[in-house]
Order: sequence, then structure tokens, then C-alpha cells
Amino acid sequence: MRAVHKRYLRELLSSTAGYVLLMILYGVFMRRLDSVPLRVGLALLPLLPILLMIRAMVRVLRDQDELERRIDLEAFAIAAMLTGFGFFTFGLIIQADADWHVSGAAVAIWVMPCLFATFGLAKLFVAWRYRGHE
Amino acid sequence: MNNHVRALRGEHAWSQADLAERLDVSRQTVNAIETGKYDPSLPLAFKIAKLFGASIETIFIPGEE
Repeated sequence: MRAVHKRYLRELLSSTAGYVLLMILYGVFMRRLDSVPLRVGLALLPLLPILLMIRAMVRVLRDQDELERRIDLEAFAIAAMLTGFGFFTFGLIIQADADWHVSGAAVAIWVMPCLFATFGLAKLFVAWRYRGHE
Repeated sequence: MNNHVRALRGEHAWSQADLAERLDVSRQTVNAIETGKYDPSLPLAFKIAKLFGASIETIFIPGEE
């Protein structure tokens, strides 16, 4: 593994660990807090490690080699379009009174995980297209 | 675009990993260049040419559009 990817893995793992820890705190304390500002603060705390994850992704995108960057950027473009298309479709179905009961908060929260998951799948596909026969 | 990167690498008895390390790119990138799946940027093409002590036009052959 190249140094740039070792650094990425290190940064991603540490920020993921921070995220998990803060989500556990969120689960434990959210129901016990009555103060709205404290609840909002607790709810927003997991955003800090997510920002660190985004920073790690931007850093690896900038520092990896040109083909790796191209693969990631193509995968990001595909993921952004597919995720937008998926949520747009979902919105149209809900708008058509299809008897689906989904909270707006749940939909908003799932945008980023869906984007990351779609990026992972898109990256597999794009990388496979650039793979030649050994 | 076709190229002679694989042949030149063979002449030096380098593995793809060896060449990748010398060019500071991934082995995946070397493989994609050798198999014609990816055409390198001009700076990387110059780097390859310099490493093999040849000119760009002797290593990379433009294909018919």
C-alpha cells in the first residue's frame, strides 16, 4: 500500500472511531437531556468526525496519482448523479401519495450514507473499466 | 494510443511494481498504461520517457482516431 493510502486509512479509521463514540454518546444521553440547546449540540457533535472524514477524502483525492484521482472523480460524479436521481424518484413516489410513511429527518439523514455507498460501488465499476489484462 | 512501456520495462527487468515506484504512481496505473486502458498525462509521459532515456514519440504511438 502506498504512503498516501496508508495515511488515508489511518485518518479514516480514527475519524470513524470518533464518529462511533459520539453516536454512542448520542444514543445514551439524547433521551435524558431536556435542554434543547444541549440536545442540538449533542446531535451535531458527530458532524465533527464526518468533517474529518471529508478532509481525509479530499486529501487522498489531491495526493494520489492521476489515474487514481480520475477513477475517484468519475466515481464521485456517477454516485452524485445516481444518489440525486434515487432521492428525486423517491420524492416523486411519496408525492404521489403511495402510502409510504417516511419522516423528512430520516430521508435527509440517509443522503450521505447513500452517497458514500453509491460511491463505493461506482468506484468498483470505474476501476474495473481501467483494469487491463495482466 | 499504443505504447512500448511494457517492452521497455521488460528490457530493464523491472516488475510493474518496480516501475510504479520509480514513477511514484500505483501499480494499477502502470498496468492501465501498458494495456492501453489509460493514456498518461503529458507530465507523466515525460517522466516515463526520461526514465527510459527515450523520447515521448518513440514510446507512445498515436492510434487512429
